[in-house]
Amino acid sequence: MNMIKGLIKKDLLNLSSYKASLIIVIFCCGIAIISTGSINYGPIIICTILGMISLSTFSYDEISKSNKYILGLPTSKKEIIKAKYILAIGATIIGGILGLLLTILVANMMNYLRPEELININYESLIITTIGGMWGISLIQAIQIPSIYKWGAEKGRIQMFILLFLLILAILGIGFLIMKANLNINLEMIESFMNKFGIVLLILAMVVMFFISYKISYKIYKNKEE
Amino acid sequence: MENNIELKNVSKKYKGFELKDISFNVPQGCIVGLIGENGAGKTTTIKSILNITNSTGNIKVFGKELTKKEKEIKEEIGLVLDDSFLSEYLNVKQVNSIMKEIYKKWDENKYISLLKQFDLPTNKLIKEFSSGMKMKLKIATAISHNPKLLILDEPTSGLDPVVRNEILDIFRKYIEEDETRSILLSTHITTDLEHISDYIVFIENGKVIFDLPTDELLESYGIIKCSKEDFLRLDEKDYISYKKGKYQYEVLTNNKNNIKIKYNITTIDKPSIEEIMLFYIKGEK
Repeated sequence: MNMIKGLIKKDLLNLSSYKASLIIVIFCCGIAIISTGSINYGPIIICTILGMISLSTFSYDEISKSNKYILGLPTSKKEIIKAKYILAIGATIIGGILGLLLTILVANMMNYLRPEELININYESLIITTIGGMWGISLIQAIQIPSIYKWGAEKGRIQMFILLFLLILAILGIGFLIMKANLNINLEMIESFMNKFGIVLLILAMVVMFFISYKISYKIYKNKEE
Repeated sequence: MENNIELKNVSKKYKGFELKDISFNVPQGCIVGLIGENGAGKTTTIKSILNITNSTGNIKVFGKELTKKEKEIKEEIGLVLDDSFLSEYLNVKQVNSIMKEIYKKWDENKYISLLKQFDLPTNKLIKEFSSGMKMKLKIATAISHNPKLLILDEPTSGLDPVVRNEILDIFRKYIEEDETRSILLSTHITTDLEHISDYIVFIENGKVIFDLPTDELLESYGIIKCSKEDFLRLDEKDYISYKKGKYQYEVLTNNKNNIKIKYNITTIDKPSIEEIMLFYIKGEK
């Protein structure tokens, strides 16, 4: 476990140069919330930025050619991959929570300072949006991490966009086929089901996505030569 | 004498390159120099020892099979790689805080005193360091958990003679501190090895050409400079290779005493390791 802690610490220290840009982004988000009164974007933006920043550790490793050195330390390929996933998942969760709390804080602060222009805070919708955003960034991470292990940080990014594009195309295709087939879908039933179990389903889907992604990454990295 | 590393018939095939049945030992208390051209197989051999690359054959470190006790073994290894380290975007203090988590026996005080000894700045990022400073940091990091074995891949390449000498002194001291320690040092700067190594393993085209004690190598090998007539008198079995010059022949032998008696040749030059290497690579037979 100490080894994983050490690897995560290395990545976090590498990322410390992002501190200033992160503060600027959070500040800009705050201004956007204040000026538009739209609070749902805050958590999504912060969660997305943190989630994507966590993936840039792969680029740091590539620039410093550190993988060869790390494999010579008392560690295993499994631990190296675990450290990357813990960081990615952690960044998404922290990003979501931080974004949610900051949005609530800014909105309440503004409502206190500017009672004549109240920002409508719908907590339930805000939480659902946050989890939705976390789900979206998790999907990108779950696709991108194995892509990076397969093709490297630079090429992996391109491959990830291709995969994502194909995924969207497949979803649209399925939608189109359903429409063409004239299937009688009870949208109300789906909506009520999603209202009841949506959050649990999204979280479960995230767990499954990361599990599959981890297994694929390990399979790729196990056979990769540094 | 016990061995800290034992390699038996280690092989690895890449596209366009093959490491073929590499066998040699690194005994305790010794510095073993792994020499050869760029691309001869030195780094692949080191990567095989560290299980970074999947190779066939038998590799034992501290008498144990590496694949079975990898973590335990690597706790006792200090590693310096020419082209790879933790990250260029850290400073030396951050390296310390990471390595504390990685090695159970990490000695923070030793690391800090080495940084002072090497005069390394604590506030600069590693990417701002000179090549010599980077190498000193890598060495300080490699020895701060008091490993039993140091594996060094090209630790002196690209460094000026003063820094190279300082670094070789560090290796000497490291070995002198504990007789069970050893160093495997891969380099193509062979002059460094003449001063510090106990054994030389020469790899060429993925094969071990020789594995000899340094003293024996420098004592028994010789270069005969002679005319064409004298060269033609030599039996092929008595020399390794020759170079045809404009006015004379240069011949490398690995048994200069025998040559002196057999052919009544009085002057045989003592070759450097580099010259021996060049005769093997460029010489004719």
